[in-house]
Amino acid sequence: MSGHVEILERRAGAVDIIVVKGRLDAGSSEKAEEHINKVLDAGGRSLLVNLCDLDYISSSGLRVLLVALKRLKKDGGALRIACAQPQILEVFTMAGFHRIFSLSPDEAAALAGFSTGP
Amino acid sequence: MAFETFGDMFFVLLQMICVIVVIAYLITRTASFTQVLDGIVTWKGQATLILLFGALSIYGTESGITILGATANVRDLGPMVGGLACGPVVGLGAGLIGAAYRFSLGGFTAVPCATATILAGLVGGAIFLAAGRKFIGMHGAVLFAVGMEVFHMGITLVLCRPFEQALGVVEGVAFPMIIANATGVFIFAFLIGNLIVERQTKAERDSYLSELERKKAELHIAHDIQMSFLPERLPEVPGFELAALSVPAKEVGGDFYDAIPLPGNRTAFVIADVSGKGVPAALFMALSRTVLRANALVPRSAREAVSEANMLIAEDAKSGMFVTLFYAVVDPATKMFTYVNAGHNPPLLFRSGGGGPAELKGTGIILGVMPEADYREETLNLESGDLILFYTDGVTEAINPDEEQFGEKRLIETVTGCRNLPPAEIIGRIRDAVTEFSGDEPQFDDLTLMVLRVA
Repeated sequence: MSGHVEILERRAGAVDIIVVKGRLDAGSSEKAEEHINKVLDAGGRSLLVNLCDLDYISSSGLRVLLVALKRLKKDGGALRIACAQPQILEVFTMAGFHRIFSLSPDEAAALAGFSTGP
Repeated sequence: MAFETFGDMFFVLLQMICVIVVIAYLITRTASFTQVLDGIVTWKGQATLILLFGALSIYGTESGITILGATANVRDLGPMVGGLACGPVVGLGAGLIGAAYRFSLGGFTAVPCATATILAGLVGGAIFLAAGRKFIGMHGAVLFAVGMEVFHMGITLVLCRPFEQALGVVEGVAFPMIIANATGVFIFAFLIGNLIVERQTKAERDSYLSELERKKAELHIAHDIQMSFLPERLPEVPGFELAALSVPAKEVGGDFYDAIPLPGNRTAFVIADVSGKGVPAALFMALSRTVLRANALVPRSAREAVSEANMLIAEDAKSGMFVTLFYAVVDPATKMFTYVNAGHNPPLLFRSGGGGPAELKGTGIILGVMPEADYREETLNLESGDLILFYTDGVTEAINPDEEQFGEKRLIETVTGCRNLPPAEIIGRIRDAVTEFSGDEPQFDDLTLMVLRVA
């Protein structure tokens, strides 16, 4: 069950980019959480999570994003999500997450958001 | 004993080795010896070991092979091993016992033999200390045995006069003594090495088992908490048929359902899913359920009850815990169904007239994330025969061995095929369908279902 996730890390200037592809569910969200924690532990304060190639997200996936958001907010950082897929947006909307996360349609727009603020 | 040939002599040495194997096994298995391996020093333990290794030294003297008035023997073996494995006190003590016995027998080589035996224990103990209060290992021990016997021969040549006689003795016994003592030390070192590895493996296994035990206990506790916060039996709701089921996953999530009798004959229905797993999720579930119950009982609207509960839960939500929750209040007199959906997957409303189900979609954000969140409430007019299925994502996200999800479509098909059965049987059908679909795939999330039908 945990097999179908792929997580990549990149940097663009001061922004840490984590790309999550595949399925973010109960089996794979621990792996995603480890990646995010590694970036935040290293002092990353601008985190962009790219979900453009994510096919599925469950509530445990939402929890991982929420934990990261809470931690960054506490430390004065920012988290932006690039998300294109309608089925992922639907889950975000269902949970009400579209109201607490900054969502951008693609990575370029999300990156631009870091310089202009929320 | 005197022997004609080297062949006879080696045969007796072989017998001697067999005896040493047995003695070595017995000594290394005593509580006193394993205490020393654990670094525990007691007077009783040290005294026992001195006596055991001292007795081995006496046996070494007694079992010796006489050559030209001197004896090829393993007298030094006990003190050497005692010193190497247990330290200088045991080495010296055993050496003194062995030396005293040898000295009492007298003879041409009494002084150098007694001296060598005492030194064997002392030097062995010194090596134990130099190695950091532990056994030096097989190679070092065997090398030490060879060196000690060479020294034993040397001191005989230096101290015994006439020199020619001493030389004759040494020529006869040097080779068999070096071989016999080295072999004896090898046997002990081999057994001690095995014992150390065995005890390490056991310690690792014990700590692994106790960790496993702890995890199991934790899962058990989480399960107990979750179960004790589910209703023991659902209340009678006049004018409605109701059934519910919750099957926790192995690494318990935090699903719950509830039916709360309210003033004015009304009833509140709840289904919820706490994020996370294990004891933290179970405790958060207990907190959420209690807060919601307390707020439901105060006369107020569904919207206000959920908003207030959210505020209290959000203040307590550490480390990103949240709960998706569907809350509905039903009035049997008017058949009005008022609900708030806080990010829970939409319950399905099957109207009595047939057709596909309607989704009772979200009216606000999941609980525990934003203390000031706003919630809307929606009201439906239910009719006789209408059926509402509440469920958690453990149902639709159950996967089969091909990693396909059970999904909403299969869920709707299953309910459509049996929607006129009693609610408890509809739930049974859904559970069977999910179980059959999943096959051998483990259940990753709690699976919770509640069916409400208007009579």
